[in-house]
Amino acid sequence: MRPWLLGPVQAAVALLLAPGLVGAIRWMKARLQSRAGSPPWQPYLELRKLFAKEVVVSSNASWLFRAAPFIVFGSTVTVTLLVPLLAVPLPFGGAGDLLVVVYLLLLGTFFLALAGLDPGSPFGGMGASREMTVAALAEPTMALAIFALAWGAGSTNLGQIALRTLSMPSEALAPGHVLAFAAIFLVTLAETGRLPVDNPSTHLELTMIHEAMILEYSGRYLALIEWAAALKLLVFFSLLGNLFAPWGVASVITPGALLWAAGTLALKLLALGGVIALVETHIAKLRLFRVPELLSASFILALLAVTASFLLR
Amino acid sequence: MSPEMVSQLSVGGSTLVLLGGLMMLWRRGVAAHIGAFTFQSVALAATMAMVGWFAGDWQLWAVAALLLLVKGIGIPLLLKRMERRFGSERELEPYVNTATSLLIGGLLVLLAYIVTAPLVSVSRLPTRTGMPLAIGLVFVSLFIIISRKKALTQVLGFLMLENGIALLAVLGTHGIPIIVEIGVFLDVALGFIVMQVFVYQIHETFESIDVEQLNRLRE
Amino acid sequence: MTVTSAPFLALLLPPLVAALLALVLPPRRFLAGVAHAALALVSLGAALGLIHLVLDGETPTWGPTDLFRVDALSALLALCVAFVTALAALLGPGPGRDQHYTPAQIRRFRVFASLFAFTMLVAVTANNVGVMWIAIEATTIVSAVIVPLTVSKASVEASWKYILIGSVGIALAFVGTVLGYFDFVTLVGPRESALNWTVLLANARVLHPPVIELAFVFILIGYGTKAGLAPMHTWLPDAHSEAPSALSAMMSGVLLAVALYAIIRWKAVVASVVGPVFPNRLLIGLGLLSLAIAALSLVIQRQYKRLLAYSSIEHTGLMCMGLALGPLGVFASMLHLVNHTVAKSMMFFLSGRILDRYGTPEIGSVSGLLRVMPWTGGLFAAGMLALLGLPPFGMFLSEFTLLRAGFADGLGGLMAVVLVFLAVAFVSLLGHLNRMLYGAAPAEMRVGEGSRWDVLPLAGCVAALIVLGIAVPAPMTALLHRIVEIAGR
Repeated sequence: MRPWLLGPVQAAVALLLAPGLVGAIRWMKARLQSRAGSPPWQPYLELRKLFAKEVVVSSNASWLFRAAPFIVFGSTVTVTLLVPLLAVPLPFGGAGDLLVVVYLLLLGTFFLALAGLDPGSPFGGMGASREMTVAALAEPTMALAIFALAWGAGSTNLGQIALRTLSMPSEALAPGHVLAFAAIFLVTLAETGRLPVDNPSTHLELTMIHEAMILEYSGRYLALIEWAAALKLLVFFSLLGNLFAPWGVASVITPGALLWAAGTLALKLLALGGVIALVETHIAKLRLFRVPELLSASFILALLAVTASFLLR
Repeated sequence: MSPEMVSQLSVGGSTLVLLGGLMMLWRRGVAAHIGAFTFQSVALAATMAMVGWFAGDWQLWAVAALLLLVKGIGIPLLLKRMERRFGSERELEPYVNTATSLLIGGLLVLLAYIVTAPLVSVSRLPTRTGMPLAIGLVFVSLFIIISRKKALTQVLGFLMLENGIALLAVLGTHGIPIIVEIGVFLDVALGFIVMQVFVYQIHETFESIDVEQLNRLRE
Repeated sequence: MTVTSAPFLALLLPPLVAALLALVLPPRRFLAGVAHAALALVSLGAALGLIHLVLDGETPTWGPTDLFRVDALSALLALCVAFVTALAALLGPGPGRDQHYTPAQIRRFRVFASLFAFTMLVAVTANNVGVMWIAIEATTIVSAVIVPLTVSKASVEASWKYILIGSVGIALAFVGTVLGYFDFVTLVGPRESALNWTVLLANARVLHPPVIELAFVFILIGYGTKAGLAPMHTWLPDAHSEAPSALSAMMSGVLLAVALYAIIRWKAVVASVVGPVFPNRLLIGLGLLSLAIAALSLVIQRQYKRLLAYSSIEHTGLMCMGLALGPLGVFASMLHLVNHTVAKSMMFFLSGRILDRYGTPEIGSVSGLLRVMPWTGGLFAAGMLALLGLPPFGMFLSEFTLLRAGFADGLGGLMAVVLVFLAVAFVSLLGHLNRMLYGAAPAEMRVGEGSRWDVLPLAGCVAALIVLGIAVPAPMTALLHRIVEIAGR
């Protein structure tokens, strides 16, 4: 098997798994709340339906509104080429390290916020400003937390970080590692619009963030954005899963190893999805002005992670 | 235990102890504050016991047990009694808001690094790695006392300050002489009891434990 | 070195016994008062005995690993503590003196004032700096209990500020102590006696300068809080003005000095590790700041007890600076300490008498003091002049020596600034004094001294101040010279 194929394979697997992940979380949540819930494959059906529907665009909207879904989707797909989903080291790993990943994700967020502002609807503007508030606190936290890991591994390359943990399993329980995990977990909640920061299951709340930005979208645009959002969730989950517990990730590229890697990845995603479902069942949404407090707390965790790895060097 | 392991455990334990202090900054409810303090004391006792095991020092075990008994169980019980009385007085509007407080807390930890650089470079003990975090907790506790308005929160800040010093002592020196240790313990316990009496007295005289009202004596 | 427990027991036991007796005896009994005073006098006698021993060239130690040790510095402080304790026992709350105290309050005061004295005596005689810290921390606890002897909003507020700021400050001093011990253990290895001041001093040469500098910063902030040095002084005026006058006298007269004592002990160690420049700079900075803030605050005070409290900050600042001005400065500073102890405790007792008669703490409401209470008024005026540093009182001599030490050290500019602040304090204190002494007495004010005999010990204080101002007694000079050998390096 040719190594350069690995990137596209990863992207394809991620694109395939992402809607399923969202569906699985929804289904688990419904079960935890004693509801029947829609089946886990429901998001695939939704995507198919959306792609088939006609697009309605506000007459106020500019080209930005039409371009944004592609930029969002494109940047997120690019990220899946760079993060270690199935194997390390990656063929394109050298092209991008953790900073590139963080900024690609931020690029998508940025264009989504612009697109929210573009048609001039009040909800879009509110959502965009809130999203930026969250991102302004979440992004540095994310960078800092991965930096803590990078300090231990001596490289900002995500593949190298995963390899290092693979070679020294005791590192996985080092204080810096654990703290960085906690910080990234909180960031994941904020960045992917989960409770307690944002409620993913409704677009009828005044305090919604993500749903408010994309309220004006329909048809295939909406499909792309929803798909990208699911992909983003998957990327964060696989970062959590593969940076902190990289076991199962293929370090030699054989079909068998890759299959095994895909299996373990699916398991990790399901486990993390279960945790999210549990969390979302247990806690209520934070009031909007308390969100920065949560994010500063995660920033502190990331900071402590850096200091802990620095101390133990 | 290998020295690397002890280093890791020291940093891990100290981080947990410091997190207790940061939780004070984050949360507002009295119950959450008491929980943070209890958590911190237990983490401190565990760290002490770990160091005691590593150093083979029974005195540290004794001190850890005493600490668990007094700060992990005794004082939290008294605090809970106070909570039943003052629980409704949450830390709603501290002088510094929560998000800023947390960021300042982070900066204080960084400051502690700079301040303790000479200490860490001097010592050869594997446990020295946690010392910056202990001083960080000292700073964070001072900040809690300065920036919070409720007398009860200030008492908790003081108790956390003492925890920070105890952590510093155990990590840096594997325990100060036992006679001093016991004296310090008595002082802290007595000081807490007197402060507790005063909190009740403030409540009786001012019908609230908000220290913002303590502004009669000025100039 | 001699090992003798008798002088230590005679010094430290009486206050403990006094606390126990006060607990069991009915406080209104005449006998209870007599026993209380007698025990305080035993302690005073023991302190004098210790001074005698020290002047004979001995350094008595006591306890396992030389836990207690008395050199000239300890002996002087022990004398000051025992002296003010005795005054407080003679003049403090008791039956017939202050009608507004209930028996329960008198009992509470006697128990905790005795414990307060005990903790201060332990602090100044302990060789182990850890024990010294424990004792000083305990002074906060036991004295805070009796600050609100009569509960009011103001006294509760004062006591809360006192115990919180005091405890936090002293905790920082413990950080410094731990850091000192840390450095010692790192270099020499763990030892039971490692916290002994003598051991620290003997090993000072090998300690790490950066660590000890850090430790000293913590210690200075910590004990400086207790000593009332600015900017950590905010508790002091409140606590001193709201506490019962006898307690104010003890706090202002000796508690500040005891905290300063702890700083002197550590300064000796630090100076032998890093040289005198670093600690001296900090001491001069804090001292000058205290002096400045106190002098400027004196101008706007409206209550006489707060006035005295700020004057305490001013004088502590002066002493703190003196410590940094070479041997002559240390000599002056210690002489100033003795003068301040006598003058300030006397002034607080007098202000207690004024408060009892006029029923108001406001300067503006007190007038015609000389007519209403001629003895109290006269002594109050004398004490105030002494605090101003006028001849023939002792403080003139000590302040003059201190300034001379500063000029001799080449710090002329600094001394000029000090003189300016002293002048500010002088003018404002004199203005406040005039307002109280003269003018018409308020209508229906009872004229004449209340409890006549109580004036006697206070008059003795004025006499002592005059003696210290005209010619310092030879034993005192000898003692001070020995202290300079300890702290003046």
